[in-house]
Amino acid sequence: MGIYIMKRMLITLPLLLAVSFLTFVLISFSPMEPAEVVLRAQEVPVITEELIEQTNEKLGFNKPFIVQYFHWLIACLQLDFGQSYVKNAPVWSLMGPAFMNTFKLTVISSFVIIAFSVLFGVLCALNERTAVDRLLRALLFGFTAVPAYWLGAIFIFVFSVKLDLLPTSGMDGAKSYILPVTVIALGYIGLYFRNIRSAMLNNLNEDYVLYGRASGLPENKITMHILRNSLQVAISIFCMAIPIILGGTVVIENVFAWPGLGSLSISAILSRDFPVIQAYVLIVAVAFVVFNMMSDILNATFNPRIRDGN
Amino acid sequence: MIKNYIKRKYTIYLLFKQIMIITSMDKFHLIHIKCSDPPINMKVPKNIEQRERAILLKKVYCIIFVVCISSILVACTTTKEESSEIADELVYATVKDINDMNPHLYPGSMSAQGMVYESLVENTEKGIKPLLAEDWDISEDGTVYTFHLRKGVTFHDGEPFNADAVKQNMEAVQNNKEKHAWIKLSTKIVSVDVVDEHTVKLTLSEAYYPTLDELAMTRPYVFLSPKDFENGETKDGINGFHGTGPYQLAEHKVDQYAIFEANENYWAGAPKIKKITAKVLPAGETTLLALQKGEVNFIFTDDRGADSINMEGMEQLVQSGDYQLMRSKQMNTKMIVANSGNGVSPVSEKSVREAIWFAIDRETISRDIFYGSEEVAHTLFSPNINYANVALKERSYDMERAKELLEAAGWTVDTEGAVREKNGKKLSMKLYYDNNSPSQKAQSELIQHSLSMIGMELELVGEESTSIANRRSTGEYDLLFNQTWGLAYDPQSTVAAFTSEASYLHATKGIPNTEEFYQNIDSVLVSTDEENRKALYKDILTTVHDEAIFIPITNGNVTVIAPKNLQGISFKQTQYELPFEQMYFE
Amino acid sequence: MNVLKNLSQDKLGITSLIFIVVLTFVGIFAPLIAPNDPIAVNMQLRYASPSWEYLLGNDHLGRCILSRMLYGIQPSVLWVFVALAASVSIGAIVGFIAGYFRGNVDAVIMRICDVMLSFPVYVIAIAIVAILGVGLGNILIAFVLMKWAWFARIIRTSVMQYVELDYVKYAQAIGMSHPSIIVKHILPVTFSDIAVVASSSMGSMILQISGLSFLGLGIKAPNAEWGMMLSEAREVMFTRPELMIAPGVAIVMVVLAFNFLSDSLQVALHPQLRQSNQSQQKLKWFKAPAQHEKEVVK
Repeated sequence: MGIYIMKRMLITLPLLLAVSFLTFVLISFSPMEPAEVVLRAQEVPVITEELIEQTNEKLGFNKPFIVQYFHWLIACLQLDFGQSYVKNAPVWSLMGPAFMNTFKLTVISSFVIIAFSVLFGVLCALNERTAVDRLLRALLFGFTAVPAYWLGAIFIFVFSVKLDLLPTSGMDGAKSYILPVTVIALGYIGLYFRNIRSAMLNNLNEDYVLYGRASGLPENKITMHILRNSLQVAISIFCMAIPIILGGTVVIENVFAWPGLGSLSISAILSRDFPVIQAYVLIVAVAFVVFNMMSDILNATFNPRIRDGN
Repeated sequence: MIKNYIKRKYTIYLLFKQIMIITSMDKFHLIHIKCSDPPINMKVPKNIEQRERAILLKKVYCIIFVVCISSILVACTTTKEESSEIADELVYATVKDINDMNPHLYPGSMSAQGMVYESLVENTEKGIKPLLAEDWDISEDGTVYTFHLRKGVTFHDGEPFNADAVKQNMEAVQNNKEKHAWIKLSTKIVSVDVVDEHTVKLTLSEAYYPTLDELAMTRPYVFLSPKDFENGETKDGINGFHGTGPYQLAEHKVDQYAIFEANENYWAGAPKIKKITAKVLPAGETTLLALQKGEVNFIFTDDRGADSINMEGMEQLVQSGDYQLMRSKQMNTKMIVANSGNGVSPVSEKSVREAIWFAIDRETISRDIFYGSEEVAHTLFSPNINYANVALKERSYDMERAKELLEAAGWTVDTEGAVREKNGKKLSMKLYYDNNSPSQKAQSELIQHSLSMIGMELELVGEESTSIANRRSTGEYDLLFNQTWGLAYDPQSTVAAFTSEASYLHATKGIPNTEEFYQNIDSVLVSTDEENRKALYKDILTTVHDEAIFIPITNGNVTVIAPKNLQGISFKQTQYELPFEQMYFE
Repeated sequence: MNVLKNLSQDKLGITSLIFIVVLTFVGIFAPLIAPNDPIAVNMQLRYASPSWEYLLGNDHLGRCILSRMLYGIQPSVLWVFVALAASVSIGAIVGFIAGYFRGNVDAVIMRICDVMLSFPVYVIAIAIVAILGVGLGNILIAFVLMKWAWFARIIRTSVMQYVELDYVKYAQAIGMSHPSIIVKHILPVTFSDIAVVASSSMGSMILQISGLSFLGLGIKAPNAEWGMMLSEAREVMFTRPELMIAPGVAIVMVVLAFNFLSDSLQVALHPQLRQSNQSQQKLKWFKAPAQHEKEVVK
């Protein structure tokens, strides 16, 4: 087990390096000169050619590309993403809280997704090919085709305006989680519950169930086995859902005015705040890689077949 | 027996699996459910299956129920409940965070800074009035201003407001001179001297008539507790936000809210509204809804002249009976700034700018977009502004005229409806608008359509106001939405801004004889002779009008939506602040 | 034409296919079909209710909503299809190279795919919009840049399975050139897999791209696109909620049609699965790219 984890982590390192390099390359295409970005951030009123040259000299922007990259990487490792030139604050001081807000939304959504995927998956599996099964599948399948922002707007209209039950937007109190979490969950439950359903169906028909019954094992023990095996699927879904949702909350955050990474990045685009955009791309990509790694490790923990295969 | 049976079954299963993998789409399924590694289906006899299912079902339901409930509980307990009832306090919606509250820099929200910080004098309808200075003397030659400060004023942190504090603040501002170049006063101040505890002497290099007007501005000549200074300076950040104003900043959560509490020791008496919250909400319907639901109870036209909800929404709120709508008198002119200094763009041609001017249907904008709340503007400053009563030729909506101008300037088109060209260059420009202003968006779409009728292509780019301000100062634009700076600033500061890199320098660069034009602006501000000043202003205003640099659209005002029982709502001479301290609930 | 025959037995599938084909035609011939000019502003008709001349009413600038919906098919659906086709083609070429030749080429390509797949597509779209500016074209570029890696990976797996088959080995043994083996023996058998993979991505891509347009990063005014129409409608969501209906329903219907079609296509292309009693739900996978690619890494 330990070896597997080590291996998996070692694979992740070069990947992270490559991801950061790509981010750096990508943003270096931005129309702004890095020196100009720095000077803007310092609110220098008149930016002259000489000033740019001086800054280039001072901060090493005229060094070879690869040297610049390592300078930048080292700074990033110390959470120094530079200065936002719109907010007059270090980028990290903006990214940190925003990341936490997005993360909270993501984790809670993932919990809800997993809970309901299991609920619906088991429900459908146990009622295979009955009206319940068909209805639920059709309904959840339908929801995967609904644009999240549209659904969000409809929910706000119904639950906040007409019924006046929930806050419209923002992030204060548990109540404000309900609508965004529901909208996110509805988009993904339809995808994930199928896995649970087929896992359950397969398990119900597995040899060990047959064998267990045949050898007179108590029913509750068999049930436990089935559930345990199906929950493995659930756990792996949970791990995989986190990074996917993390990278896709932009629209939801916009609809519900959630003060997270997505909102921050959109406002950064609209105010051409390149240091923030660069940090955003890097942070989400790194989180994506790290969570994928964690999900693999967790999967391996619960399912020895995977690590044996390696 | 049984073991053998199972073994045999398992071998068959393995065999089947191989075949499946090779011949079918099953691999995708494997990929999809990575850990369950599903075998092919083998049916268990029906009767066992059904009985077991019933038992299983119950158990599974129980477990799932517990999981769901507990996950919801976990979610709920992690965050605290908050009531949305508002009583005796104001919660106003703002599309942007209040940002850096340093009063000597520019990123912060002006309305928030206006609550916390105060200046020496105040610009009112009846002229300059005392604020932190009770009285002042001006020397004969107009170069020395002696201010007698109000006694017994303290900063929010308890520090006394005295001549030393004034000197330190003024010097901190002057030490960052380049940033304040748009205020000509910053280039005229020679020294700030402490005469005694409550007397300060301000010495200028030459007489400068708008001195008091500029000292009355929301920033930068306002006062921060010297204890908040960092190394005796304010330009590289400060340690606290303690002013002398009626409100102090109590809590600030970036991009969520900022809470201001009444300053109980305020020199003019503690304000009646004890708490004001600035809540960040996206513009448009979200804000409207939040008002309807009482999550916020106050909105007003923001720093950049953007109304976050449209007129129709405002009407609806007023009709609901809970809100009142207050409009200030005409405050400024909303306009499109044409970057005459942008040499590569067609906008550097006077005839193109004039054609745009003629092609804008102001009547429709005023009637259908502003529902008549804003009047049509034909000049940069409306004639009731000081020195602005100048006879200028009116350019009303006239599409034919616009086409003629373009034809005459050599912008031709072969087929009707196509984009005009001249020497292979397309008549295409970009118009930047504030993405938080629904009305600017609607106007730009309307203008885009009108211009397409005369063969001009307009690309619309919605950006945040900071980015637009940035473009204005770097000159990276063709056209952008803007507004004059308001009664307290017009015309002197707006005109002074024609020469300022941070403001309209790029826009005015394309004027022929710029030297003379800028010279006129410099001399008008230091001129001591009233007649001379009038003549110079006439010259300046005629030039920018003839050159069609600032294309006026409507005359804007400050709009407030407030609870019906809020009294004492009034306006200042500036669109950037509201006198919250005078408001109270009945 | 077995596929079509199989498909025709699936009512939902054939309905979806017909819907998509009709929609495509309407989209292409929108200028001939649309009753009005989609960008003609008429402030007198601001927010006018449906009338015989304007069947779906008018928007905030008095433009014909129906005409805008019809013109909106092109950017909302057809251009997305073009982007999908582009990324599938790139993915197929790369996937074939990796899966057929294996070895170092394969290793390098797969590592590149790993890196590409480490970026959520939204994030890259945002970065590209930040650099190149707002515009539908830029978003489509972002999607092509990112999505090919996923297709490459899946197609590679598919190819690898066929390369091992005897007749391919035989072809190699008798000295057929690699390109002709690929074209003659592997492409036809993997083609069905490619079709399924592509069709299953279409729905999610339409949703994602319209989402970016909704955020104001996509198509520019005055052109019509469904996501942007929804974002315009959202500005008056509470005063005029009816404006949200047309574009929203259109997106849902198109995405559903593509999802149904994708499911039916899988069954149609692999009729042997029809017998398997679980084939239906087994094969109903789509979307959630990160999930599919994972097993293949190992």
